[in-house]
Amino acid sequence: MSDPCQRYAEDPEANAAHLRECAKCRGIYAPIESQAVRVDALPLAPWEGAGHRSWPLVFGGALALLAIALGLCAAAGISLAAAIRAGAGLDWRATLAIASNAVRPLGPIGFAVLFVLVNTLLVVLLRRSPRGIDA
Amino acid sequence: MRKGVLLSLTLAATAVTALIAAPPFGTSVTFSQAASMMTRTAVSVSLLFVWILAAVVLTLMSGREIRYSSIELRTSPLHCFALGLVAVTSFVLTAILFSYLIPFVVGIPLLVALSVFAVLTKVYGTIAVFHAVGTIVAGTRSRDEMARRRWLRGDLAMVVIGVLLLGAIRLIPVVGPIVWGLASVFGVGTALATKFGRREPWFLVWRPMGSEL
Repeated sequence: MSDPCQRYAEDPEANAAHLRECAKCRGIYAPIESQAVRVDALPLAPWEGAGHRSWPLVFGGALALLAIALGLCAAAGISLAAAIRAGAGLDWRATLAIASNAVRPLGPIGFAVLFVLVNTLLVVLLRRSPRGIDA
Repeated sequence: MRKGVLLSLTLAATAVTALIAAPPFGTSVTFSQAASMMTRTAVSVSLLFVWILAAVVLTLMSGREIRYSSIELRTSPLHCFALGLVAVTSFVLTAILFSYLIPFVVGIPLLVALSVFAVLTKVYGTIAVFHAVGTIVAGTRSRDEMARRRWLRGDLAMVVIGVLLLGAIRLIPVVGPIVWGLASVFGVGTALATKFGRREPWFLVWRPMGSEL
């Protein structure tokens, strides 16, 4: 390999003119010459621009909801905290009793079979790998 | 043109909501019924405010995980829904089983652990659903569109749009709770399908010694 060819192999961008002069190098390197990638032609990846934090939208949305909630609470004659407590509260004993009564007709064996079936199905479904970004 | 269409759609949605939410024509509403309706709406909107706070905090803490779960939900919605349904059924059956153990000491801590896990799954998953809904409705399709937008881009914006949209639907009587319940099922499914956005397997694969990887 001659010196110009060696120099081109080491630094193609600095010695780009050599490719026009040397047929041998053109034969070797031309087929693998990289094409410029048009980024705009590529599909938009989900993470592009995902880190942007639009605080005006966040504050606007949250304050609007707070204002509406406070207005409605005032109209209904309750405090915001009481409204949140009323909405978030769950009588788990009553819920559990309803669920327990619903499966009572199955009997202990039926319940055991149902329990094993549902949890087996859960394990089978959990074994599937998420596709998401690979799809 | 686009703004006009959006405005018309908003007005139409408001009219439909008002028609569904309003009492039937020709019937009178008593004061106590109106007060009860007002209280229910106040409770719903107050909870929405808590949801938006939780969504913003969680997205700031782990935006990438929320995004991965949202992508999974949009890519495999049926799998997420099926997994969500099975998981919710499993939670209920397991809670019933643990309730039989309450007379023994072990029942209560098991129930507490199960309920904490179920609540965390529901909250995380619902926020992933907010992100998915926001992205479907207001997500950018091209780089030009993204560059033009000042506010309406990024995970945080998508989550807020999702909360506001699903929250508005939540206020519609009958339809709202159904849609919210479906969103919860989807959420539980996507949270478990992606292991809370970490995309790790739930179970290790057993390989006998000497077998090829």
